Amino acid sequence: MVNPLLILAAGLGAAFLLGLLRETSERAAFHTTVGALAVMAFVALSWTVALASGQTDPVEMLTAGAKPPFAINLRTGIAEAALTSVVTLTGLLSAFFMRRDLLRLGRRAMAVLLVLIMALSGLIMTRDLFNMFVFLELIVIATAGLVLLSKDTRALAAGFKYLVVSQVISILLLIGIIFTYHANGSLNIDDISEVPMGANGASLAMFLVLIALILELKPFPANGWALDIYESAHPGFSAIFSAASGSAALFAVYKVLAMAGPDWALLAAGIGIVTFVGANLLALAQTHDRRLLGYSSVGQIGLILLVIGFADRLGDSFLYIAGGLLVSHAIAKAGLFWLSGMVKARDLSDWAALRENPVLVVLFAVFIAMLTGLPPFPAFYAKWSFVHVLATDGAYSLMAVFLIAALIEATVLFRWFGMALKRSSGHSLHISLTGEAIALIAAALAIAVSWVWGNLSGQENLITLVPLLFALLFLPLDILPARIKNVLAIAGLVFWFAVTKNGLDPLRYVFLIIMVLGGAILLLASFHATGRRMGFYTPALLMFAGMGLLVTSETSFQFFAAWEFLTVGSYFLILRGQDSEPHALSYITFSLGGAFALLAGFAIAANGAPTFPIENLSEVPSRIAPYVFVLLAAGFLTKTAVMGLHIWLPGAHAEAETDVSPMVSGILLKAGLFGLFVLLMEMGRQELFGVDLTIVLVWLGALSAFIGAVLSAFQEDAKRLLAYSSISQMGYAVFGLALMNHLGWLLALMFAINHFVYKSMLFLAVGGVKERTHTKLMYKMGGLITLMPFTFVSVLVGIIAMSGVPPLSGFGGRWIFYNAIMSTDLRLPMILIFMAGPVGFLYLFRLIHTIFLGQLKDELRLTKEAPFWILLPQMLFVGFLLSFAILPGMILRRVDSYIGTLFGDTPLVWTGKIVDSQYGTWNPVAIWGVIATVFVVVFILLIWMNHNAQKVKQFNIVFSAERPFKPQTTHFAWNFFAPYRKAMGFLETPVATSFWSGVSNMLHGTADFTRKLYTGNGQTYAVQLLFFVIAVYLIAMGGLS
Amino acid sequence: MTLVQISLATGFALIFLGLYGALSNRNILRMIVSFTIASTGVNLVLVAVGYLPGREAPILDTIPVASAAERITDPVPQALVLTAIVIGLGVTALMLAYAYRLFRARGSLDISDFTELKW
Repeated sequence: MVNPLLILAAGLGAAFLLGLLRETSERAAFHTTVGALAVMAFVALSWTVALASGQTDPVEMLTAGAKPPFAINLRTGIAEAALTSVVTLTGLLSAFFMRRDLLRLGRRAMAVLLVLIMALSGLIMTRDLFNMFVFLELIVIATAGLVLLSKDTRALAAGFKYLVVSQVISILLLIGIIFTYHANGSLNIDDISEVPMGANGASLAMFLVLIALILELKPFPANGWALDIYESAHPGFSAIFSAASGSAALFAVYKVLAMAGPDWALLAAGIGIVTFVGANLLALAQTHDRRLLGYSSVGQIGLILLVIGFADRLGDSFLYIAGGLLVSHAIAKAGLFWLSGMVKARDLSDWAALRENPVLVVLFAVFIAMLTGLPPFPAFYAKWSFVHVLATDGAYSLMAVFLIAALIEATVLFRWFGMALKRSSGHSLHISLTGEAIALIAAALAIAVSWVWGNLSGQENLITLVPLLFALLFLPLDILPARIKNVLAIAGLVFWFAVTKNGLDPLRYVFLIIMVLGGAILLLASFHATGRRMGFYTPALLMFAGMGLLVTSETSFQFFAAWEFLTVGSYFLILRGQDSEPHALSYITFSLGGAFALLAGFAIAANGAPTFPIENLSEVPSRIAPYVFVLLAAGFLTKTAVMGLHIWLPGAHAEAETDVSPMVSGILLKAGLFGLFVLLMEMGRQELFGVDLTIVLVWLGALSAFIGAVLSAFQEDAKRLLAYSSISQMGYAVFGLALMNHLGWLLALMFAINHFVYKSMLFLAVGGVKERTHTKLMYKMGGLITLMPFTFVSVLVGIIAMSGVPPLSGFGGRWIFYNAIMSTDLRLPMILIFMAGPVGFLYLFRLIHTIFLGQLKDELRLTKEAPFWILLPQMLFVGFLLSFAILPGMILRRVDSYIGTLFGDTPLVWTGKIVDSQYGTWNPVAIWGVIATVFVVVFILLIWMNHNAQKVKQFNIVFSAERPFKPQTTHFAWNFFAPYRKAMGFLETPVATSFWSGVSNMLHGTADFTRKLYTGNGQTYAVQLLFFVIAVYLIAMGGLS
Repeated sequence: MTLVQISLATGFALIFLGLYGALSNRNILRMIVSFTIASTGVNLVLVAVGYLPGREAPILDTIPVASAAERITDPVPQALVLTAIVIGLGVTALMLAYAYRLFRARGSLDISDFTELKW
């Protein structure tokens, strides 16, 4: 192994060598620079690998032939080696990225770059306080020099502000160092840490050293200067400033904090969380991409500072957690800055230019996901472990603050991603092969570190999961035609079903059928798509992978990871819809909010256990069990779109593509239901403050069922109607589950199956109509029965099934449902849910009536039947519904006996195909017979009466010679239920929407107001810095004494 | 008051004076001068803290090595001061270069004229 000091020597030596070169030989200078950086990176990486694999031990490097404290010593352990790798690699890649500007400015700029990377590595390795100061000052000078690489003239002012602030910081640091030396007689970090300092006379000195280093991390709100640099500097340099400088400064703080002792940890943690929250909040108001990245960098570094504050408590897992966050931040942030170099204009929506190159879009998605801490990236494992530690310590409020800020951060980033995918940019992309290659290398590194963190996690290594890899396989396959990919996708789903179905209990089996086989059936409709359909299969399969894994998950970690997979996959899928940008954003915001509630719930439940099997939920101590229950239920109810948390659903489901709507409605909603099943099965009834939480669920279910149905009846848009109807249907299922009895559960399961079938069918039918008529507004349709007979049949069968009239399976659902509520004594919600039934009729009637019956519009005269591939799954579903109606026992009987083992009762008696309960008998075959007879009789009657019918010509109407102001208002289908609206319209008051937009406006308002703090004046920034120091000192002293 | 106390007091006075000057003068050149005053103050503090009364300068040419430990003052702060002075020079030079370029860009040396980057 080479001595790690070579990292410093190579940097410094090459910088001096550059001075010997001629002014004109820029190329030779550039090669020297890159060569030196490559040597530095190689040394750092080889030490990282050797130390990680245990081939060598950490090494102490002495200088000047004397031992510390008489000479400076440096150390390379695993953390140091890994961090210098991050620093040198960022430097190397950024050097390539900045090649043109480095050549333009010549060897001096390159020397400065080398000195910066060298100094950052030195700051990481040194164990001497004063040496740290020297390296810091070198960093300051080099940074101020490299800021000038930018062609943006404003960078000049930013660099000067930075110098002003750095002067103040260095004054604080020097005074702190000399008094620390005075108190300890040594400048060696290890010597100082042996003398406990605590809150004695030397504490001010220690405070000054510490705060000066923390200020280098740009803590909120004393960080305006840093944001200005991020905004105006060369993106290649910003990548270094964020990834490399941030990492080095963090490690410096860590070393000093370890030296100062545990008394000071709280200080770091406090500044960390304030910074994380403040920066993410203020980022909400940003429209400038690089400034946004600056806020995000500040926030991430604040988060790691928080973790450093917990270092003592985290023990062995500290390096894992802090490292996971740091490496994710470094790679993602550097990658995003590099990408920003390829985008010409600076508004967030200008990133739409990325769409010219699909590879860049994928890279953008990877970096955003990595930064947000989604699986399988290291930050995901880190957040998981960190939240678990917080929960074990009972630091619940800190955990809540952390998760809320993380949610805001995710919202900011995904809003940006949505803009890039849906907006248009006036500028084309600045194509740069080097830039693209560098970003690709960053993504490859991201995958490599994900594998490492997965391996170390003690949990499943997510990146080696077959379903995930299968979904990712479709990224390179995206050049193939859509149909070939569709065949592959279907085959993959069927295969996965065949592999995983064994050994599941009937309940999970049913969900697996719905989620995986159901997905395969719905993918048949995707054969309709022509061309390549890029960017569809990876998200779709990611979603199905998530659902497949969810059903088979055994531990809370697997469950949560699967949950995140399906959330992210469905987000990308929903985002594909034409006008879905705002809806996809609210979807991901609510979903991630729900996911964080799950994370918190699992973390509290685990109570320090490294792996927590889901079935252990039943053994959670009763002291915390109700809280776990509330958090988990909140997460699941967000997914099932219970009233109040539902506002994301209508837009997301209605604006999605034709074949995506049934996937996210028919299948995805079941994930929430599955979660509730598991939750109630394991935890049962819980009481919080004397309230039985299942009763709360009963109420929520009933309200959702009723209000969802009312809202559905008032929609003009057919897909929105179906979307609101899903809220109502899920309400039924939640209601059934929360009844906590055998029949209620059977009801919920029945609803899960039925809802999948008929909602998929109806969404496909309406989607087919939309494909042909190019509208979703029902008053623009009408009379399509003769033109689209198959679609009509599937809607007819669908609404018969859904409304619960005999003979279709919906009736079975209702029958079980009435039996279930007979056996409970909750009268009021029972009435509500009864009422939801007739209201359901209203919207279903509207659906079939306004689309298929009535007068045909002139412009729709040439409409054809829906495309074959969209019809095919519908016809399969029709066939299924008809047979399921006759033979409900196919599935239900097995599940019924399984639920019987859970509750220990048998309320239903199956004899052949006949089902008996305490209240009555259900004979599906007989019902079929009766209905068929009635139907045939009426049909014959109608045919017989047909000869009497009087033909009415279309357009046989006038408006008294008046041209109506809004022609559509005269259509019968417009405001179809006006009288009902008069009666029940108050239910339409958008209470939930107003509430959530109020929350959003308040956050945006706060952000917009608070960021005025950054006046742009360098002096103001310096004053803020001093006030920050004084404020922190007063608070810290108050805390210590 | 001892020599050490006087120099400490002077050092801190210079630091506060310098900081006050840097934060209250809008002219960039005046700010730079103020910062040099402040760093002079810091250097004075460094020396004062490391000074041992009655000891000599740590130059081993004039003092026999054997008795050096009793006779010389602590050499570490002296080394620190030297380094700090050098670094201070570098930073001051860089700030002056910046001032020059800022003036060339805008024709002004008023710090409050350079606030396009904000919020």
